Amino acid sequence: MATLLIVALFLPLYPLSVVLNGALARLRGPVARCALLLAWPQLGVALLQLAPQAIPQAFVPWALATAGFYALRLLTVRDMGQWAGFLATSALALSWALAAGGAGRAELHAFAFWFSLPAALVALLAHPLARRFGAAYAGLQGGLIGNLPRLSGMLALTVLAAVATPPFPGFFALLNLLHVLDWSGALGVLAIWLVWGWAATRLLQGFIFGAGRAASLGDIGRASTLLYTGVLGAFAIAGLTLTGGGL
Amino acid sequence: MDKLAILLPAMPLLSALSIALLADRPRRHIARLSVGFAALTLLFAAASLAFYLVEGQPHWLSLGSGWGSLTLDPLASLMALMVAGISLVVHVYAVRYMAEEPGYARFYILLDLMAAAILLMVAAGDLVTLLVAWHLIGVLLYFLLGHDTARPAAQRYAFWSFFTYRLGDLPLILAAVLLYQAYGTISLPALFERIAADPGAHAVLGVPLTTVVALLVALAAFARSAQFPLHTWLPYTMEGPTPVSALMHAGIVNAGGFILNRFAPVFVHAGEVLHLVFVVGLVTAILGSVLMLMQNDIKKSLGYSTMGQMGFMFVEAGVGAFSLAIYHLIAHGLFKGTLFLGAGSVIGNARKHDGVPHDDVYTFVVERKPVAYRLPWVVAAALTVVVPFFILGLSHWLVDDDFVGRQGAIILLFFGWVTGAQLLFVTYRLRAGSPWRLMAMIILSLVIVVAGYTWIGHAFDVFLYPDRAFSDRLYAAASIPLGTFEVLAAILTVAVVGGWLATYYATANGGARSGEASPLRLALYSLLSREFYVADIYTWLTQAVLGLSRRLNVWLRWV
Repeated sequence: MATLLIVALFLPLYPLSVVLNGALARLRGPVARCALLLAWPQLGVALLQLAPQAIPQAFVPWALATAGFYALRLLTVRDMGQWAGFLATSALALSWALAAGGAGRAELHAFAFWFSLPAALVALLAHPLARRFGAAYAGLQGGLIGNLPRLSGMLALTVLAAVATPPFPGFFALLNLLHVLDWSGALGVLAIWLVWGWAATRLLQGFIFGAGRAASLGDIGRASTLLYTGVLGAFAIAGLTLTGGGL
Repeated sequence: MDKLAILLPAMPLLSALSIALLADRPRRHIARLSVGFAALTLLFAAASLAFYLVEGQPHWLSLGSGWGSLTLDPLASLMALMVAGISLVVHVYAVRYMAEEPGYARFYILLDLMAAAILLMVAAGDLVTLLVAWHLIGVLLYFLLGHDTARPAAQRYAFWSFFTYRLGDLPLILAAVLLYQAYGTISLPALFERIAADPGAHAVLGVPLTTVVALLVALAAFARSAQFPLHTWLPYTMEGPTPVSALMHAGIVNAGGFILNRFAPVFVHAGEVLHLVFVVGLVTAILGSVLMLMQNDIKKSLGYSTMGQMGFMFVEAGVGAFSLAIYHLIAHGLFKGTLFLGAGSVIGNARKHDGVPHDDVYTFVVERKPVAYRLPWVVAAALTVVVPFFILGLSHWLVDDDFVGRQGAIILLFFGWVTGAQLLFVTYRLRAGSPWRLMAMIILSLVIVVAGYTWIGHAFDVFLYPDRAFSDRLYAAASIPLGTFEVLAAILTVAVVGGWLATYYATANGGARSGEASPLRLALYSLLSREFYVADIYTWLTQAVLGLSRRLNVWLRWV
């Protein structure tokens, strides 16, 4: 049980999830945040394989409750870095349900990666915004699509990837998860998925849409745009080819 | 030739990618490119339909992996042609309409992606492809409706649409998961074959799986096609650009009718769900029509009109007339698209000149002039009751002499009779210089409409469901016990005729009321003017959830 509780730090279950979100709040560097979001759940999956016992059934409702709890809280988070952390917490908690359903090690690593990469990219995108406006805060400067169309486009695509929109792999990963759950668990996951979508629109409306108040600022460069597009494109293609459609 | 299925969604996708790469080019180049690809898509859609008509066999095409398959069956071919046609018209219309708007390239990219997603949905050959397309349509619609990024109202209503669509995505996903768990395949043709072979093999909580899946698919269709109480997003989506409104009302909102038809092999084993579809459709048709009459804004009125029409489409599916629902969907899509694209010109012209011809209809409806001369009432009553009945009965009998054996057909006849009789009843009360001539013209137009509707409806039935036995089973599944049916028909007839008599009596007595309105009337007026408070309830629920979220975050110090 002790091992499983340690794993619950990395594949975050509330209240142990406070550790990951606290660490993300303290870290200021975008690369460090990004690395933490990518490495933390992989460590959890690796540790889970070392656990001497099977996952108790009680962990599944605990995981679903954690995912639902953070999804609900995500709705009113306006700081983009924190948003990425909450979304990652909500999504990664679902790894427990997948693991309890008998998923293999590779499948669990992939599941964690499909959700942590877009969250890490969202955290990374907070940096250019903070550099321009002092903070990556939804509603602080609306209407970015007029002044910063490339950054806005990347932000929209990354947020869509983060909330499991097709053709990004999160969509297929969730289909796979639904397949191993019973109907009540599946209903819970679907409700969480719905709230993620709601939270995504609130975030985008706080940044991209609205009357632009920002002075004319430089957009991200072509190279950065191409790099981001390449990463997201490769991510989508990887999902399409590796998940086999989810079901 | 079966590779045409791939080209259908690929063409608009290619167009979107090309525009994304050439976004810096002048606007006219972008428009030409997009319109060109849209024309090619229409060409391929027409070719795919012609291909099916020549071959007579549906084609199923897999792209190799576990999913990503496409099908070209009658339903997919017909819907693809309709979608590609409307998409081309909207593309051409937007060339000048959007010329002054910011984000021209973005608009065309989104429009092309939307066309690709809809074509992928209609041609999807497996559950996962269908889910991907179904989901993407909601996401793309959000960005299209919110194209004017500076308008808060556009953002608000884009969100309403998005949320309702996401709500509708979830039951469809659950249905797909349940089907896969039970039958072990995602291929739609294989799935329907296995269901047909043993429809009662699986159950969920003691309820047959086919019933559960049909219910989930119906719920998804309700949200997508704005059925009560999931309709609030539809009338308000006028905040988006007019080409998007046209595309949405002519194509996207019809997805509910499409998905019911796609899952017809499941609905044939779920008669109870068809009854639910009928009731929800009927309620939506009535409420949509009532709310349409309350509006003083042409676009919002058209929005509620669409809601009412969607209700009728579900009524048709609910009585087992699935092919008629598709015919209704296409006919409505074409005329509503035309109305939306013409709404701007109508408003512009009305500002200069009201353009209303001061003929008999205008004098009667608007000026409410008393009737000077009428036909003898016995003749009018006979015409009102007998003529529509005769026209409807004869036209149905000509195409299908067994139509009286289908309850669904009888219900549709009843609706047709009510509409025809209403028309003649109103005509009877019209003040006209030559009432016989006017009546003759009205009856002639009724004959044309009814005969056309019946014949084309029959042609659709033969084309979409060539297996007559399957079509009969759909009608049978939608049937209710004969005694109940007859009692309901009698109650409805009494209600309709009673309504006519009450209206006639009120009009004959002058129609005007003196004194204060009764509290009941005021309450009814408030209810209708507030659109049944549905939007207010949703807003209250939304605020409650957001308030809870905010309080939790404050208590837990945002970690």
